[in-house]
Amino acid sequence: MLEDRAIGSMAPGCYGAPGQGALTLREIIIARAWNVQGDCARSTVEAAVRERFGVALPREPNTTAANDRWMLLWLGPTSWLAVAAAADSASDPSFNASRDALNAAGAALFDVSAARAGWTLAGPRAATVLAKACPLDFDARAFPTGGCAQSVYGHINALYYRQGSDTFTMLVSSSYRRDAWHALCVSAAQYGYEVLPPQAV
Amino acid sequence: MTQPFRLAEGGLIDRSTSLAFTWDGKRLTGHPGDTLASALLANGVHLVGRSFKYHRPRGVFTAGSEEPNALVQLDRDARTEPNVRATQVELYDGLVAASQNRWPSLGFDVGALNGAFARLLPAGFYYKTFMWPATPRWWLRYEHAIRHAAGMGKSATAPDPDSYEHQYAHCDVLVIGSGPAGLAAALSAARSGARVIVCDERPRFGGELVGDSATIDGAPAAAWLARVQDELASLRDVITLTRTTAFGVYDGNLVGLAERVTGHVATPPPFAPRERMWKVRAKTIVLASGAHERSIAYANNDLPGTMLAGAARAYVQRYAVRCGARAVIFTNNDEAYATAAALEQAGVHVAAIVDARPDGALTGALPGHARAGGWPIVAQSAIRIAHGATRVKAVDVGALDPASKVTRRIACDLVCVSGGFNPAVHLFSQARGKLRYDDALAAFVPDVSPMPILAAGGANGRGDLAAALADGHAAGLAAVERAGLRAIGSSAPHAEATQAGATRALWAVPAPSKSAKRFVDLQNDVTANDIALAAREGYTSIEHLKRYTTLGMGTDQGKTSNITGLALLAERLQRTVPEVGTTTFRPPYTPVTLGTIPGHESGPHLEPVRETPMHDWHVAHGARFVNAGLWRRPHSYPRPGESEFDAANREAKNVRANVGVVDVSTLGKIELQGRDVAEFLNRVYINRWDTLAVGRCRYGVMLRDDGMVQDDGTTSRFAPTHYLMTTTTINAARIMQHLEFLLQAVWPELDVAVSAVTDQWAAAALSGPKSRDVLAQVVDIDVGNAAFPFLAVAECSVRTAVGNVPARLFRMSYSGELAYEIHVPAIHGQPTWDAIVAAGATFGLMPYGTEAMSTLRIEKGHVVIGPEADGRTTADDLGLGGLVNKAKWCVGKPLLERPALVAADRWQLVGLTAMNGATMPRAAKIVADPNHPAPNPMLGHVTSWCFSPNLDAWIALALVANGRARHGETLWALSPLADAKVQVQIGPPCFIDPNGERLRA
Repeated sequence: MLEDRAIGSMAPGCYGAPGQGALTLREIIIARAWNVQGDCARSTVEAAVRERFGVALPREPNTTAANDRWMLLWLGPTSWLAVAAAADSASDPSFNASRDALNAAGAALFDVSAARAGWTLAGPRAATVLAKACPLDFDARAFPTGGCAQSVYGHINALYYRQGSDTFTMLVSSSYRRDAWHALCVSAAQYGYEVLPPQAV
Repeated sequence: MTQPFRLAEGGLIDRSTSLAFTWDGKRLTGHPGDTLASALLANGVHLVGRSFKYHRPRGVFTAGSEEPNALVQLDRDARTEPNVRATQVELYDGLVAASQNRWPSLGFDVGALNGAFARLLPAGFYYKTFMWPATPRWWLRYEHAIRHAAGMGKSATAPDPDSYEHQYAHCDVLVIGSGPAGLAAALSAARSGARVIVCDERPRFGGELVGDSATIDGAPAAAWLARVQDELASLRDVITLTRTTAFGVYDGNLVGLAERVTGHVATPPPFAPRERMWKVRAKTIVLASGAHERSIAYANNDLPGTMLAGAARAYVQRYAVRCGARAVIFTNNDEAYATAAALEQAGVHVAAIVDARPDGALTGALPGHARAGGWPIVAQSAIRIAHGATRVKAVDVGALDPASKVTRRIACDLVCVSGGFNPAVHLFSQARGKLRYDDALAAFVPDVSPMPILAAGGANGRGDLAAALADGHAAGLAAVERAGLRAIGSSAPHAEATQAGATRALWAVPAPSKSAKRFVDLQNDVTANDIALAAREGYTSIEHLKRYTTLGMGTDQGKTSNITGLALLAERLQRTVPEVGTTTFRPPYTPVTLGTIPGHESGPHLEPVRETPMHDWHVAHGARFVNAGLWRRPHSYPRPGESEFDAANREAKNVRANVGVVDVSTLGKIELQGRDVAEFLNRVYINRWDTLAVGRCRYGVMLRDDGMVQDDGTTSRFAPTHYLMTTTTINAARIMQHLEFLLQAVWPELDVAVSAVTDQWAAAALSGPKSRDVLAQVVDIDVGNAAFPFLAVAECSVRTAVGNVPARLFRMSYSGELAYEIHVPAIHGQPTWDAIVAAGATFGLMPYGTEAMSTLRIEKGHVVIGPEADGRTTADDLGLGGLVNKAKWCVGKPLLERPALVAADRWQLVGLTAMNGATMPRAAKIVADPNHPAPNPMLGHVTSWCFSPNLDAWIALALVANGRARHGETLWALSPLADAKVQVQIGPPCFIDPNGERLRA
């Protein structure tokens, strides 16, 4: 095919083959994302995290834990990504205060709010389009709703989590934003896709 | 009807639609459902190509992907494709195809003279002939001429207009092949609830059942096929793929499939890829790839009109084409009798069935049926030689007894030959499976594999329909169990078993004369005599035989010839076939289009691209970009009519005169937290860190274990337990890995956590005597020299058009001028940059790129990881020896004391100034005497060079033997490649402000 110049545009609208509503792509805007590190077996760490986020760190690999304000994604045995819900208000403790509290408890907290770009893919073709460039098994039996996993999209490191049977979010380092978006779009064009306006998580 | 050999009924073609196509400039027609080969045969075109070496006329030999002869050029403008197998090309309206490997025309080919000189062109002829005179230059000339003579088509010159993509998939059972065994396996696996993928290289499922009249489960084959496909389509966990070749089996049960998505249609739909490469992780693999019929080597067995018996039957049953009017069948097995029946039914007169087996061995059902029908069976006989020019006209048939000279000539225009069947074990063998030679089948069959791959049906030596169905069914259930699921029993599809006689191994018929050519490998023109010759010359290993004779090379990889060739070698060596063994089966099973392999990752998307938050601003302001790792960085910002060289000089000069701003977002950034960070830094850096106060930063150098400089950068302390380290742009990931390794494997007791935050922060360096004036306009803290001295850091706010932005401010200098770095969260990068540029307008601020940045640091004598710290330099070599703290240990320090690392003649960093206004050559070596005969003793080399607009001279940094003791000496920079000799003055590496007064101003 001759590559359509519109493929890769970030403007809302329908692109690619005449779609049957097979796929929507929506950029997400992360207001606050913190990398939590520590040994969750230590009671001080466990308590400080629960105190700060109101939810226990997920210990099972590739799982998430969430309440109405924070979602915690498992990144490794001692590392998590805490993503604030859009509703998380400015009245919350500042990053520095939270960092100091966690440091005092023997844990670490890094501000990575602007470090990632991401998109939510929704529709029956979402898993197919992710599987164009990601070797993970997106079948619900291997990657259930509420699961997360780190892998690649093409040559780019990516973090995925699943919100529903046909809904996934993919996060990449923000410097890859345009490249990863292009890779998603060229993979999706054959099915047709709709770009929705960006939305706060 | 313009297709004289098309049958009036039958076949799986759509006679209601005609498709026009062009063959060697001639307009012909076919129907949907045709391949190019079947359409050509329907039009009576048998001569489709010339052979590789002797340029002998060749015809369509098979009906599948194993085709050795019918390689054609598809002409589709930029989609032009050579060496396509006509037997696989699906006909579409407007298809343009041409024969290959002939000059000037297919009918008359000058190259055919090679045949007359065949005795001068024995096996390995090019190894023997073209090695003289023994200089490579002559070989290149020969090679050019040979390439023209061989002429394997022409490739496209325009860019490929198509796109290709990859698709990962996972399944419990991957079934390769959709014949009776494959479908039975898919059904039994899918009915057990397994995730199943079934693929087939052909456009429709069914394998040999397509067009066949067999009965399965009481229904005609066509009805059974439809029912099975409906059932598979109804199951959510089943993926069915046609036009999809499983081309390779790799470690971890990774199977590569090449799906031809749009190559078979005249106008590809928009946005669809031409081909899709599936990377399937299969828990188990069922190989139901069928079997390849093989030929028998008799004289002139390559004449057009000669084809495999199964192919002649397929052309009748699938494509409604009779390939001749009068056929002779030559076989050593029962299967060819089915071809005889099909041909008779299609109105082809079967003149003789020549069977190599004695009359008493013809006990199977099919020969019995033939005998009952009164067909002319000639037992224990063989075709001795075929006659004809560009089409077979007659064959001489005689008893299979070397003593017997009596032959009978039988006129015919079609010879259907069957030398038995080779199970398509290629993928089983790729899966490290061992093969076993089965004497009854005279073929290699799968034995055991360390990978979970199960062969079934024809691929397992069980080609009979009833056996294949049962075998496939059982393999599907076994595969489900091996995948860790519970097989749910169901009954196997049933077909009546056919009583079959044994195959008699017959590889070659004795030659009627010395010059007679009995072809084993049609694609490579390898004859039975070539194999005998190679054996005589000592090529007794099958792998050597392959390289020497080219047996089994080329696009078909000897699918119809390999086993025959090795069996002939075995006969010659008086060994058994399994003693000789097979050559290694390697991917790909059939050729894979090159574009399919990179998929989307080609052209500008070969590698991913990283952009800084201010990238669009740089583009809008005319930046030229340079690659730094995966990053795109502005090289310079040429104004209209300005060269990049002039732009970089202007930018560099402006930094020293006024102020400049450069995007340094790409710097690697790693944050560290914990009680033990200072101790950790002490161990990874050569200098001391426990004295670094909150609100301060420091330059540091890291060594590798062997003592060589690994990286440099700064580390800042923002809170008692919170630090930020910067690394060289291209070293960010490597240093992160280095730190993580040390923390996890060497010092797990340290309370230190590290996090890579490069992408979190946009960064701008503001540099020049007026940088403080600009900064004061945008930040909310006192940046006076007293409040914010050199190497101070602070958290503050930047006033931007979108409001106040949290920032980290650093007073550090790479240019040697008064300078600052401002880091803000990436999303605030652009507004911050805008605020700086706006505030700088009245101070003469200009953006500058990496080229000016490099000029400034060379003027200042700062080293860079790569050019100066090239992995062979110590800190002392680079003039940083004073940083090495004597009182503490650090990574790499113990090995710094090695004698070679403290020798007096070590190459040390110096500055060079080109004398007499000369231009400094790039990549120059430093010598004492420019006219010394080669090899000129090397005293060192230039590591970085530039024109210094501030010194108005070409300058360089260099590593020179004992360089620090040579300050003031005059040496030469020599670049033989550029034919340059420049006299250079050696001096200290720092050219500007050696006491650092400017950066502390």
